Amino acid sequence: MKNRTLIYFVVVLLGVSLFSCKGEEEYHSISDKIEGESKPYHGALTSEQLLADTELIEITEGEHTFLIPERKGQIKSFACIECHSKPVSQMMGKDAPKAHWDIKVNHANSDAMNCATCHNGEDMNQLNTLTGKNIDFNLSYKLCSQCHSSQFEDWKGGAHGKKVAGWAPPRASNTCVNCHNPHSPSFEKRWPVQFNTKTAIERNEGLGH
Amino acid sequence: MSDNKKWYSLDLGLNNKKESSGSCGCGKSEGSCSSTPKEQVEEELSPEEFYEAAINASIGEERHRDGFEQVFDVKMDRRSAFKKLTASLLIGAGAVTTSCSVTTGSDTKEKAQIDWEEQFKGNYKLMTDEEKQGTINRLMRSYELRTDKKINMTAENAAEDVLFGYAFNISKCQGYMNCVSACVEENNQDRNSEMQYIRIHEMKDGEGFKFDKADDNYYHEVPAEGHFYMGTQCFHCDNPPCVEVCPVQATWKEEDGLVVIDYDWCVGCRYCMAACPYDGRRFNWSKPEVPEPEVNKNQHYLGNRMRKKGVMEKCTFCVQRTRKGKNPACVEACPTGARIFGNLLDPDSTIRWVLENKKVFRLKEDLGTEPKFWYFMD
Ligand code: SF4
Ligand code: SF4
Repeated sequence: MKNRTLIYFVVVLLGVSLFSCKGEEEYHSISDKIEGESKPYHGALTSEQLLADTELIEITEGEHTFLIPERKGQIKSFACIECHSKPVSQMMGKDAPKAHWDIKVNHANSDAMNCATCHNGEDMNQLNTLTGKNIDFNLSYKLCSQCHSSQFEDWKGGAHGKKVAGWAPPRASNTCVNCHNPHSPSFEKRWPVQFNTKTAIERNEGLGH
Repeated sequence: MSDNKKWYSLDLGLNNKKESSGSCGCGKSEGSCSSTPKEQVEEELSPEEFYEAAINASIGEERHRDGFEQVFDVKMDRRSAFKKLTASLLIGAGAVTTSCSVTTGSDTKEKAQIDWEEQFKGNYKLMTDEEKQGTINRLMRSYELRTDKKINMTAENAAEDVLFGYAFNISKCQGYMNCVSACVEENNQDRNSEMQYIRIHEMKDGEGFKFDKADDNYYHEVPAEGHFYMGTQCFHCDNPPCVEVCPVQATWKEEDGLVVIDYDWCVGCRYCMAACPYDGRRFNWSKPEVPEPEVNKNQHYLGNRMRKKGVMEKCTFCVQRTRKGKNPACVEACPTGARIFGNLLDPDSTIRWVLENKKVFRLKEDLGTEPKFWYFMD
């Protein structure tokens, strides 16, 4: 008899504790809810269609695997060796035409950086690391990450930079050079695109009373 | 149509012309044949009878449960119901008079029929998917009849396993305001009153958030020396006070966390505006106007469809885009990547990475509104 009541109580308690975690309003806070309902999204929504027109390549950096836009196809005069048929040192000086007259390097100071910090003077189709290893133009973020390591961490996780299309998987993120001009990377001062005349009037004249 | 339809549609015989002409000897669908159902309708609806019918139709519980009842689940006596519904009835009456007239053209009649059905439809959040489809079909047709232009409206429901969240990088925002412009264009906001959902506040470095001292209507080159910029908009609170205070349940939280408004159900009392601690809501003092070529024709019932005078509206995280997997217009327009949007329930999403790896905070967290909008710094 006693046993039965005990079992009954245990069952009821179990039932209550099980069911009380279900239903609508059980989470104390939004973070509880996020934790409680977390699972990798395999739903119907995808960004695939939105990305269909963009040439993308997949990269894996640490624990992050995602897509980035292909770059070489976007550079007008790639491949560079079509003009740079000899190493830069041999083509420099003399009366050779200056093709890159419009590029001004406004990135760190000239003691720290010059063209050769990033470009491989022997093989212009490649970039090179500070220690002289080749980097493909498509993976130029590897070059930037040598100095900008905290930005690189944020970019890998998704806190720095923009996604290419939607929020839904697969993830496609712009690389450094999609937003920053590598030769002059900081954003420029400019006028806001919007001016709210109505607010200005209200502020200057009051609300008409 | 099923019997448990939640709005009342007045059958004026417009949809069964074939049947009626068949049953009538002369075969004419309109006009002089004395036994056509059309004339019977006209005879049946003398003004008093019409009002009686309309009241019954909209509040008579013995007929169909209407919107009031769905929402409040209370019985109203006819007197008070009549008082409350007078305005609605006048519109409805206009619609029916036009519908019943034999002299008006079929377009006008169709318009009137649509107006009637729209006037007495139920609350969107209680509609079945069929009913949702019905109302957006009517709204699309109505727009076409009025402007000769087509719009594309959807009634997509929240996707499963999705909870939308937003993060804003204060150190990235430069005050360019591209987001504001993009939002106005995307969401068909009134151009005359320059309504905007997003505010960008210019604040002094080192003073923290001082909203009373911030400038949200600056016009000079940005970023200005010694200042930083932060944006606010509706934060889609998980525990939204604006929803609680609405007397007619015209605003609510959807499954994916979006706080939305049924513009046709809002009575414009502005309680929600007063209850929102974040200045998230905007009110239409006049009829919003958008030049026809600038109208964004990809619409959602709960999002950027055309509003009217005297209703509330606000940021919906671009429901018309985000329920298709796209980013909101502001996120897409931001040139510095200060805005991050995504699915809070997906551990692989970038927004989750931000929440877990950056120092994030929310505004007025102590109020317990649980905004789904986080701020962070580099
Ligand atoms: S920010 Fe304001 S309008 Fe938006 S959900 Fe919260 S209380 Fe409601
Ligand atoms: S203004 Fe509209 S949405 Fe806001 S509380 Fe009043 S009825 Fe509800």
